Amino acid sequence: MSAQRVMHRAPLTLRRTVVTKHFTQDHEAVKFDSDTGVGTVTITDYAQKSLGDIVFVELPEEGATIEKGESVGAVESVKAASDIFAPVSGEVISINTKLGESPSLLNKSPEEDGWLYQLNLSEPGELESLLTEEQYKEFCES
Amino acid sequence: MGLPPIYYHYFARPLPYLRALHLQESIHALQLEQRRASASAHKDVLLLLQHTPVYTGGRRQTEAELARERTRLAALGADFVLAQRGGELTYHGPGQLVGYPLLDLARTDPALGIREYICRLQRVLALHLREAHGLVPVETAHTGVFLGAQAKVASIGVQVRHRLTAHGFAVNVTREPQRWFDEVVACGLPDVRATSIEAAAGRETAVEAEVPGVVARFGRVMEREMAPLELGADALGELVGAVDQESRTHS
Repeated sequence: MSAQRVMHRAPLTLRRTVVTKHFTQDHEAVKFDSDTGVGTVTITDYAQKSLGDIVFVELPEEGATIEKGESVGAVESVKAASDIFAPVSGEVISINTKLGESPSLLNKSPEEDGWLYQLNLSEPGELESLLTEEQYKEFCES
Repeated sequence: MGLPPIYYHYFARPLPYLRALHLQESIHALQLEQRRASASAHKDVLLLLQHTPVYTGGRRQTEAELARERTRLAALGADFVLAQRGGELTYHGPGQLVGYPLLDLARTDPALGIREYICRLQRVLALHLREAHGLVPVETAHTGVFLGAQAKVASIGVQVRHRLTAHGFAVNVTREPQRWFDEVVACGLPDVRATSIEAAAGRETAVEAEVPGVVARFGRVMEREMAPLELGADALGELVGAVDQESRTHS
């Protein structure tokens, strides 16, 4: 039967990208984009305050496979090197090279411009065991 | 309920750097494990010791940077180790009191911030220099303790993982470390030279003599009771006791 088939294109509705934020008790955060599967890892404002003036940042290498809980680098301030731990597992796809020249970016904008690295999450389910923003705030205040 | 004491132990014989580093790692692992099981099972400890001659680099140094130095310094009779602490190149050896506070910064509520912790370490040393020797440190933007704009008497380099501290401080007590410091640019400060309590105070002293005063002031500044660690009494005491015992039989 060759009734003419009219193809209707579904109207292109505007969809909001779903980005969720998850926190750890080590004062790190992951902004997860469920569409791309990419997580952007940062430290929190609480962390940068506790550290003082940051003078050096050690980041994982691009292409590295990291496991949740693994030490992947460090943030150094006033002679204290504080290890940073991977909040989730995955492959590092980019690192914030601006931090090499301007480590102070981590103090000024820890959760935005001072992002540390981005990774393709290998186990998005790991996000469920992290803290929500509210739980993290409670944790900080406790 | 008050906070538990900080347990301290002074090693009477100098320890090789790697031996003490290995001990720190074991204690760190023990603290992590015990803390997971119960919020207050793990203990805070302050290790006090001297090292056998060693130059150490911090996290910012790369192997490539230090390759040349490594050969030269080994020829002087010193070990050379890259550590995971903050800070740059420094020297440890006999005549210098080294302190490794292995504390849980989250023991208190609110937790002790890293910057505040470093400040307190500096305060302990400054207080000791002033009260025990009449030496007044100068104000400086650099971390560490200076007795003059270009005279550094104590260094600080710390590592923090999951709010548990490692590494710590080192204060030159006798003149002995000074000539070793003269061989390198320490702490990334080319115009600064090492001084010591002996050189600055103009009278002789020994590392052992400084220990009780440093311990007492550590307790004061951290606002904690200090208690001697009983070697062999528990898991922590066993770890420390084993290293202590080994140092006595091998020296």
